Amino acid sequence: MKLGYTIIYVADVPETVAFYEAAFGLSQRFIHDSNLYAEMETGETILAFAGNEAAEMNGLAILPNDPTGPAAGWEVCFVTGDVSAAYTRAVSHGCSPVSAPSQKPWGQTVSYVRDLNGCIVEIASPIAQAS
Amino acid sequence: MADAPGQSIVLPDGRCDIIIRRNRNAPDVLMPVITGPATRAYTVTYDVGDTWFGLRLRPESAVALWRGDLEHAVDTVLRGQDAIDLVPALATHQYCDLMLDRLAGLALAAPFIDTRLTHALDILHASGGRIRVAQLARFAACSPRHLNRLFRGHTGLGTKTYAQLVQFHRTLNLITRGRVPITDAALEGGYADHAHMTRAFRRFGGFVPSKLPPRLTLPQLFAQ
Repeated sequence: MKLGYTIIYVADVPETVAFYEAAFGLSQRFIHDSNLYAEMETGETILAFAGNEAAEMNGLAILPNDPTGPAAGWEVCFVTGDVSAAYTRAVSHGCSPVSAPSQKPWGQTVSYVRDLNGCIVEIASPIAQAS
Repeated sequence: MADAPGQSIVLPDGRCDIIIRRNRNAPDVLMPVITGPATRAYTVTYDVGDTWFGLRLRPESAVALWRGDLEHAVDTVLRGQDAIDLVPALATHQYCDLMLDRLAGLALAAPFIDTRLTHALDILHASGGRIRVAQLARFAACSPRHLNRLFRGHTGLGTKTYAQLVQFHRTLNLITRGRVPITDAALEGGYADHAHMTRAFRRFGGFVPSKLPPRLTLPQLFAQ
């Protein structure tokens, strides 16, 4: 078994796709005609968005993300060589800043924002492989 | 169309229906039926050749159908002349030629939907009826009291009753479609325990979770 998808339930799938394109430079890989499901080009593990309505269709009960309240207890992390530029871009395209880039004792640069739906997104540098 | 006489249990989902019923042996005899927001199951008895078509309204459209009578409409069923008294247009049209959207136009007063309520309904459904009222009100950007007024004023039901209906349907679906064992369904459905779930099933369905009746009509919530 492998991690294939991370699927975030959102209020508006096309709006979220457009936001992720602008704020994080991702591109859309697929969107269903219903506008209730879309996938981004994120390599082997796909980041996808599903409409909140889809939760009910799938028999799930979810607490929708709320930008005005505390975030849900999980995050997506994007890895880039230039954390500072990615952070600036994200914030200038509508992300709420949570923590500006800072260097961790283990050498990684880490920053946090929240997206339009209030989800936590981490932007970090790769961790150097232990030799 | 029914191919054999029988009975079916129609489960309540808090929404109103406008139904036109007739039998193929007497196609000119049309029986309009209007239901108020339903919180109790009812049994429909039908004959060979019975057909029916109609509209199930979005929950917040109940007020556009019942107008000033909404307060007294909960669990009410109007048949024949009583339905025509509420919607006089039902008397004067050949329903067989009537398109459903036209029927909606004739039956419903101009809608004045509050988008906060629509948003709250969507979130309530996504949460399987489990979200707390205070949190739901925050999503809707109003106070819990005002949200309850919006629910009562538009759907005819209070926030809590509507949430309990959503919770009941989701839990029933966990058992029937998800094939989840009853005890697990109670927890995932958000009931405190088995007894709590059983009380809700009795109230809204008239049966207990361990003995589901065979001919249940499970409304597709929000299917339009």
